[in-house]
Amino acid sequence: MNATTHNPLLFVESLSFKVNDLEILRDINLSIDDKEFVCIVGASGCGKTTLLRMMAGLLSPTRGHVSYCGQQVVRPHREIAVVFQDYAKALLPWRTVAGNVSLALEGCSVPAAERPQRIHELLCKVGLEDRAEAFPVQLSGGMQQRLQIARCLAQSPQLLLMDEPFGALDAMTRQTLQDEVTRLCRDSGVTVVFITHDLEEAIYLGDRVISMEKMPGKIGETLVIDLPRPRDQLTTRENTKFLAYRHQLFKLLPSGH
Amino acid sequence: MIRLFKGLLLPGCVLGLWQWLVMIQYVKSESLSYPSAIAAAAIGVIQDGTLLVAAAQTFSGAFSGWLVGATLGIVVGIAFGLSQTLSRLMKITVETVRPIPSVALIPLALLIYGYGVLLETSVVAFSCFWPLLIVTESAVRGIEPRLIEVSRMLNFNLFNRVIKIILPAALPRIFVGMRLAAAVALVVSVTVEITANPMGLGYALIVAQESMRADRMFAFIGWIGLIGWSLNTALLNIQYRWFGKMGFWEEQV
Amino acid sequence: MSQLDNRSRSWFFSILVFLGFLGLWQVVATAELISPVFFPAPQKCFVTLYEQMNQPEFWQAFSQTISRMIVGFSIAAFCGVTLGAIIGLSSRARTYIEPTLELIRPLPASAIIPVFILLMGLNDSMIVAVILFSSLWPVLLNTVHGFKTVEPRLLEVAQILHLSQMEVIFKIALPNAMADIFAGLRLSLTVSLILAVVAEMLAGATGLGQNITLAARSFRSADLYAGIMVLGAVGYITNTALAKVERHVLRWRAV
Repeated sequence: MNATTHNPLLFVESLSFKVNDLEILRDINLSIDDKEFVCIVGASGCGKTTLLRMMAGLLSPTRGHVSYCGQQVVRPHREIAVVFQDYAKALLPWRTVAGNVSLALEGCSVPAAERPQRIHELLCKVGLEDRAEAFPVQLSGGMQQRLQIARCLAQSPQLLLMDEPFGALDAMTRQTLQDEVTRLCRDSGVTVVFITHDLEEAIYLGDRVISMEKMPGKIGETLVIDLPRPRDQLTTRENTKFLAYRHQLFKLLPSGH
Repeated sequence: MIRLFKGLLLPGCVLGLWQWLVMIQYVKSESLSYPSAIAAAAIGVIQDGTLLVAAAQTFSGAFSGWLVGATLGIVVGIAFGLSQTLSRLMKITVETVRPIPSVALIPLALLIYGYGVLLETSVVAFSCFWPLLIVTESAVRGIEPRLIEVSRMLNFNLFNRVIKIILPAALPRIFVGMRLAAAVALVVSVTVEITANPMGLGYALIVAQESMRADRMFAFIGWIGLIGWSLNTALLNIQYRWFGKMGFWEEQV
Repeated sequence: MSQLDNRSRSWFFSILVFLGFLGLWQVVATAELISPVFFPAPQKCFVTLYEQMNQPEFWQAFSQTISRMIVGFSIAAFCGVTLGAIIGLSSRARTYIEPTLELIRPLPASAIIPVFILLMGLNDSMIVAVILFSSLWPVLLNTVHGFKTVEPRLLEVAQILHLSQMEVIFKIALPNAMADIFAGLRLSLTVSLILAVVAEMLAGATGLGQNITLAARSFRSADLYAGIMVLGAVGYITNTALAKVERHVLRWRAV
């Protein structure tokens, strides 16, 4: 591979998706670079979750393809992890917090002797180390989502796909988790594709924000976010550039969104 | 349509194999009979009236027992649901009597009532009482507390509260309990007839078995199954028609 | 501490109420308000029970009934869970087999007994066969249901984590089906006791079922009541034991 050629980590080319004559996605073209934090925003029903599922290999497009590291994605890839919005359904209720993280290590065939150490490290990273023996149902929504993130990180992924992960949480928890996720992903060097409804969240978190149109789903505008890192919930959100981006995005998306 | 065909394939093959094995004399027909004879017998028991008479007898026992048992269960269930104190006080008594298998009471009921409908009614009532008690108590407890508050605000006396608010609110779940109890009623009355009572479908089964008429025996089994299935389907339909709009959940038997 | 007090207090009063009922029964029976042929005094029943338990015939009958029940139930449980898992996991198997299962579901278990009598005669193996056959269905049907209703999101997670087929079955499908499996096992246990009693009554075989039939026939009401109590106790103990196992396996639900 030529060092001067642009080699994106994830590449979506001319992707379309139709179900029974209903066009959900049309001609999507995207590229995500290594270590980028890309946010995708759009109105409900614009197909962003469908797009994410195709990146994850859970769904096949009717036309076009998704490539990860130059190879076509036809099934879930070991280096791609997914954080689902409905965290309660994505966690094993009969396993403890530690057990849930262990599941990912079992899938990666990590030897049993190494697992407790790795689990402890990961739980410390997300701040759940003292709830290791609790069951998911005993945790708050925010903690359950952190558990899911810990499980995803246990896969040692290169790419993390997050589908409106904080949509079901209250505003304060959301803000805390936004900062935590940013920190975690920067520390692990993970590339992130983050789907959200929330314009401000997208601007706050992302290096780039891609807006999608709906009916059928198409890529609209792409905003490059030029805000200093690390970001701060108070000062960044007051930054004039932040407000300008927000203004721009708001006008791009249909009213009532 | 294809699904229906696929579903019928297995029983169809089994029946076909059975018929063929008997016809080539590989299996003797005395103890097991064979599908075509059973089908003929199934029609025969209608023609000679035995099915109708037996079914009517079973029905009278099952229905009266179900009515008595379910009503008592609902009444006590409402009482337990409304008063946690009462429920707690009665807990040991309930937990002592409930585990008694209803069949264990057949000899006792036989002693008290002798042969006849009352024998069945009493045992069926016992077995229908418990499920309705549990379901009703749980349904009453599960009523939206807001509704109870509303009934208090409206100054209802106990009777009105039960009739106008408690019962209607708990009705969907109570109905499910009644539907399940109906299946239990049928099973228990057939069991009573098989073990003791010389009337009804269960007794007809035993008579057929004792006279080595395997074809009639299987015919009656088929009819009992069909009656049980139709009863459950009919009640399910009523359930969905009356309560479907109130949002229903899938329960398992 | 006060919660413990509350619970033990409510147990205490509950026991008092129960003893009150016993006392009432004793009074009514001694005063012979209801004929003692049907309504013997509890004191007589307990004395009779005690006497029965001192005789080896009682324990013979007891162990006969229990062993038939346990053997039938255990084999049915094993076959039911295994078959149920296989059928539940394979949608193709389900298409062909589920309709047949639905046909068998409404059939009263005791209606099968005459068939087995014709096939096997009136003996011990007939009784165990009857118990086995009838206890199979609740656990089989419930296991099928448990395995076919796995949360689809968890299956996606399994795909993403690259779990093997075996891992999916044992780490995801099976724990998920456990709740249904235990519900089925509880039903099967109840069915196995009932059918043990009924089959004994019909076959005239030694056992607790026959004991109460004979007691009723010879108007020995105290023996009859004692026998009923024993059967109630068997039902209670077996159910409680199973419930304890269930609570342990499904302990994640209790929190």
